Amino acid sequence: MARPSSRWTDLHVRRLFWRAGFGATDKEATHFAKRGKQATLNWIVNGGKGPSMVGPAPTVDGHTLDPTNEWGHDVLWWLDRMVRSQRPLVEKMTLFWHDHFATRDQDRPLMLRQNKMLRGRALGPFPTLLKAVTLDPAMQMFLSLADSDKEAPNENYARELMELFTLGKGYSEHDIREAARALTGFQTHWTRGGDFGGITYEPDNHDPGMKKIFHKRGRFDWHDVVALVTQHPNHAPFLVEKLWAYFVTEPLDRRTRTRLVHVYRSSGLKIKPLVAAILAHPKLYAKLDSPEMVKSPVVFVTGALRSTHRYIDDDNWSWLLDNMGQYPFEPPSVAGWDWGPAWLNTNTARARFTAVNYLVQHPPLKVDDKSISPELSADEHLAMALEAVGNPWISKSTESSLKAMVSRLSQGAKSWEIQSRADMTQRALRHLLLSGPDAQLH
Amino acid sequence: MPNAHRACDDFRSTSESRRRSFLDTPLSRRQVIGRGLGAGLAVYAAKAMPIARILEAASAEAAVAPNAPVVVAVFLPGGCDLLDTIVPVGQYGRYADLRPSVKIDAPLPLGSTGLGVNPQLTGIKDLFEAGKIGLMPGIDYANPDLSHFHSRHFWETGLITPDQATGWLGRWLDHGGSQDNPLQGVSMDYSLSPVLRSGSAPVAAVSSPDGAQFWIPGMWGTAFDRAMETWTQISSARPAAPGPAAAHAAARQAKAVADILAPYQKDDKGNDPLKGTITYPDGDLSERLQVLAGLLSLPLGIRVATVDANGDFDTHDNQAKELSDGLAEVSGALAAFQADIEARGVADRVLTLVWSEFGRRPEQNDSGGTDHGAGGIAWVQGTRVAGGVLTDYPDLNRFDSEDNLNVTVDFRRVYCSVLEQWLGTDAAQVIPNAGAFGRLQLVR
Repeated sequence: MARPSSRWTDLHVRRLFWRAGFGATDKEATHFAKRGKQATLNWIVNGGKGPSMVGPAPTVDGHTLDPTNEWGHDVLWWLDRMVRSQRPLVEKMTLFWHDHFATRDQDRPLMLRQNKMLRGRALGPFPTLLKAVTLDPAMQMFLSLADSDKEAPNENYARELMELFTLGKGYSEHDIREAARALTGFQTHWTRGGDFGGITYEPDNHDPGMKKIFHKRGRFDWHDVVALVTQHPNHAPFLVEKLWAYFVTEPLDRRTRTRLVHVYRSSGLKIKPLVAAILAHPKLYAKLDSPEMVKSPVVFVTGALRSTHRYIDDDNWSWLLDNMGQYPFEPPSVAGWDWGPAWLNTNTARARFTAVNYLVQHPPLKVDDKSISPELSADEHLAMALEAVGNPWISKSTESSLKAMVSRLSQGAKSWEIQSRADMTQRALRHLLLSGPDAQLH
Repeated sequence: MPNAHRACDDFRSTSESRRRSFLDTPLSRRQVIGRGLGAGLAVYAAKAMPIARILEAASAEAAVAPNAPVVVAVFLPGGCDLLDTIVPVGQYGRYADLRPSVKIDAPLPLGSTGLGVNPQLTGIKDLFEAGKIGLMPGIDYANPDLSHFHSRHFWETGLITPDQATGWLGRWLDHGGSQDNPLQGVSMDYSLSPVLRSGSAPVAAVSSPDGAQFWIPGMWGTAFDRAMETWTQISSARPAAPGPAAAHAAARQAKAVADILAPYQKDDKGNDPLKGTITYPDGDLSERLQVLAGLLSLPLGIRVATVDANGDFDTHDNQAKELSDGLAEVSGALAAFQADIEARGVADRVLTLVWSEFGRRPEQNDSGGTDHGAGGIAWVQGTRVAGGVLTDYPDLNRFDSEDNLNVTVDFRRVYCSVLEQWLGTDAAQVIPNAGAFGRLQLVR
């Protein structure tokens, strides 16, 4: 068995870029392999100089996107950010928070506003993020915090705040009811036309009485509730475990857990140092030659677009993502999506295969008729296809099966079929490299 | 991930309305993909299955017991309110006090039962009057947990446990089902309902009409077939780690499914071999039930099926509208489904159980809605169910210590009754301590 390598190779870069973002292009992999681990992590965590997005702006049928009004354009808008971002970790963390603070069924402008809010606070202090989430109109309306008042406190937000957003366990039904009282006071306003007109805090609607939460007594309000849940002993381990599982497939051992909890608490509950510590952890780089994390549909699509230098130029990605089981801005419930192997079943596997059709039938991946020389060897064919799709990882057995396919596709071809078989061979290789089992893992 | 509710999954299915936009996509290829049973099929099996022989196993199973009874479990996600769904006409004054702004002004009376239904439930009312509905108001369990995820998990598993567990119908298949036929338990969805999660028995998810077939642009004939043989080859590995295992199994089985379902596609003229004579109202629940009715009429050995309603019954706000919309879809779809299976001559084999994870608080909140409560609503539907009101309606003058309705029937009593009276199983094999729950006469 080889000793664990302390070297920093393009394989390390590719792993880090997949987990912290949406994969590395060939150029990125080469560049950051030379710069070393610290410089790469620094670029990932803090960003580099230069523009935050590169590449052509998104279009559909030649027109700019209309995320508020056109079905699916909200998804395309975010997908484009992920594809072109030079701060991939910020987008990946925005996706994390969208899953964590899952909100659905709300008007597009409010969801886009929430997305901007999450992005702006994705790596900052958690209490700041949680305050912004608590004030967020889409969230307030989704979990009925808006218009919950002292006469009839609505418990929906208080419950999910503890169960899903901060603690997981370690609170009682009584704590939820008291927190719901403390969270009262927000009121929605509507315009004459029936449009959303903002949410204000109305002290008259707030229950100013004594409450008892987590065995502490006080005339608590919403600020206090945010402080109480983030200071609760269960909060730090809860968030550490969830973030670890987002980035790393290896189990979180007790010592690392203790250390990460310390990193998080001693920073004053800042997200960035915690994420940075996870991204630097050797376990993130385990099994570089046999990745075990299943790409989420958004990561799968974004990664394929990035690695093939394709930009958003049609609107099919939206329904394709829906068929794959991850439609951003509409998570299945307040608990977010079920990640990991659960992404894959026969339906979603076929949806991913179909998505690749939309990659290979357009430039730059499209193989034009009569463009491939029938003289290419199996090695040359495969090298050409790998190059076209960004040189992704494939297993040794996949490699030999694909080479065998090259010769099988040329067998028995009539003289008038030789050219079209050469074209089809290259089409099949590009497709299977992007759609096969290896391509589902990172 | 990382999700606190891994054991409980989501409580609402992913939006089917989004998926439907696929059907509207002007894609020439779609016409040849076909729909019919050519739906996607996801198979969940604990052991390696000869998946290419699913239909053989299914028809063999069906041949053994062509008249085997079927349970269809329809889930109303979010916690359906009892009071505004089945209205306590006999306690109307008290009801109106509790629900000043969300009460139902003109419930449709159900004979002399002292109850009325939400005006959107016309289809359900007709079925009730035909003796095909057995209502179970006040259903829940003792000391209810008001978390969606916990309560849903208890109902799904038939166990009051925070732990990961098999679904109650999946567990029934483990005891009394086939080890070879995944179609014995089907979720009409893209993924499996936790109700059907099994230990050893294979089960499946059948999504809404959508092609199961594979194609690659610019490839055809022998070259395409050989490329797909390579697909089969590269997905044939069986790695141990869960992620790689899932990636290979899904790829392998998706292709096998495409092959076995190919004959069930719509024909070139768009004729759907599964379509019946009944017209359903528009809506996702209707679409799912319509495909299910078609499948039930084929010899596939289906014994249990799950269907999720689309509506959101978590009516914290604006209950008057949200609940009406949800109930309208449920009523129209279930009435059409009942008519459809009757027209196909399979209705005497089918018992439909409609459930939701909890009821709602009797006193409305100030958002024009109701918060999570206890004592909900479920019903059984079918040509052979005991029609009527099968449980006591909760007394609106006596609440529990949390100001919730008193529970009048434990859902596990219903499960035990279904298992024994309909599926002919000793309930103790599926529900621990089954003797303690008593029974309701659900079948006539």
